[in-house]
Amino acid sequence: MSLTASTVKHQVQTPEIQLKDVEMRYPTDTGDVLALHQVSLDIGKGEFVSLLGPSGCGKTTLLRLMADLIQPTSGSIHVAGKTAKEARLAQKYGIVFQSPVLYDWRKVKQNVALPLELVGVSKIERERKAIELLELVGLEKFADQYPWQLSGGMQQRAAIARALAMEPEILLMDEPFSALDEFTRERLNEELLSVWNNIQNTIVFVTHSIPESIFLSDRVFVLSPHPGRLSAVVEIPLPRPRTQEMRNSPAFFELIARIRDSFEGV
Amino acid sequence: MKGNHLFVRNRLLPAMVWVIAILVIWELTSWALLNIGHLPLAQSKLPYLHEVLATSIQYSGTLIKEGSATFGNAGIGFLLGALAGVVLAILMSISTWIEKLTFPYAVASQMIPVLGLAPIIYGIVRDEYISRILISGYITFFPVALNMLRGLRSVEPSALELMHSYAAKPWSIYWKLRLPAAIPGLFSGLKIAAPLAVTGAILVELMGAQHGIGVIMLRNLYYGPSHVYMFWSTVFIGALLGILSYWLISLIERIVSPWQPEFRSKGGSHS
Repeated sequence: MSLTASTVKHQVQTPEIQLKDVEMRYPTDTGDVLALHQVSLDIGKGEFVSLLGPSGCGKTTLLRLMADLIQPTSGSIHVAGKTAKEARLAQKYGIVFQSPVLYDWRKVKQNVALPLELVGVSKIERERKAIELLELVGLEKFADQYPWQLSGGMQQRAAIARALAMEPEILLMDEPFSALDEFTRERLNEELLSVWNNIQNTIVFVTHSIPESIFLSDRVFVLSPHPGRLSAVVEIPLPRPRTQEMRNSPAFFELIARIRDSFEGV
Repeated sequence: MKGNHLFVRNRLLPAMVWVIAILVIWELTSWALLNIGHLPLAQSKLPYLHEVLATSIQYSGTLIKEGSATFGNAGIGFLLGALAGVVLAILMSISTWIEKLTFPYAVASQMIPVLGLAPIIYGIVRDEYISRILISGYITFFPVALNMLRGLRSVEPSALELMHSYAAKPWSIYWKLRLPAAIPGLFSGLKIAAPLAVTGAILVELMGAQHGIGVIMLRNLYYGPSHVYMFWSTVFIGALLGILSYWLISLIERIVSPWQPEFRSKGGSHS
């Protein structure tokens, strides 16, 4: 498969997530819809990658496949050395959805502790862990509030804390900040990177924002629609830690232009 | 406090105005029917409220005793009916097969007029207590099952996916997601059913029971105009029991699920 030269340069040593010839079709009344066509990709351990593309390019489908929330029509998916299903059952990943999906009847700390509760961690232990996670995302003062007492940005931070509860090797994020305003989103981008800096796990981040994908990622997987396919992989050579000033640098703009050029058939 | 002041002005004051206006209009109309219209049996049509109140106080002992008999049986029937409704709703939510098997019959059962069913039940069991309990339970069962089922199904797909992503067991998904999410629906059903259960119990008493508010209601209706105030007292007690049952369920709802949108206090939001 021929991609951009950057794939060759970036040698993934230990692929944490590996997709081979993944094909996804949805049956509809008017025949099958091809959502993803022949997607193969490797994501390295500890890497931060984005799946970028317009609506209908299958980026969310791709993430849901990695999470084993749906299964591919054909092709293979391996996550942390296991099949996607085994990885889900072994709790290898945490997931953050587009909406926070916090349960109304649980306080913030109880929402964060939900995954621990499901595997039977003791109450004292999960309370301690929940507070620790809330500190990580700066929400420790709101532990005893209910989700609806928090702003949208804070709710999404609580959702991130919950996704990290099982100390997952992989964090899957499906447009987590797309419902937030631009200012909150940029602040949360920075906070996410500082959290990642602390835990050093693999992150797969779905977005339709080119600047967001550049700011966050080591590599950006560019997807194109009709049918959904991988059209380019762009390496982001910006140094870390990333700062807000970098958003105004010539290198940043150049990357935006490069990614924009790489879309096919949009 | 400013909040208290607002509460008095926006909530309490309009309510007071309504109550006083209705009382005044009622008393005036009652007086008009009696003294201007000279209608036959004017007090049976619209009695003086103060006379009804006086009678209620005079016979408060009887009213409370018979009222509690009705309310107690209605309560037991309500609890049993609610339990049956909840269990059926859970079964139907687990299996569409069970839903298809039972739902049409549950609907059909509600087509039988309670007015006809009550004497049948009474004729079979020959016990007024059990009859009251059965009818109250029968009335409660359906709205509870229907609203509970809706609540169980109201869970958002993303909330379920979250559980799947954690490889949660089906039992955990029910206990930690579906059942809590169904609480608002459950209470809608309970609030519809509670006053109906009381009405159902009173209906059974009209079929020839020995105890209950319905019995004195019927007796005083037969006695005629001389007992009109007592008859109206029983009507008001019946209504009060219905209101009390609704109020009790609402109170429990507030305690059990303070997180529901309608109970949320304003000003707790952060930006």
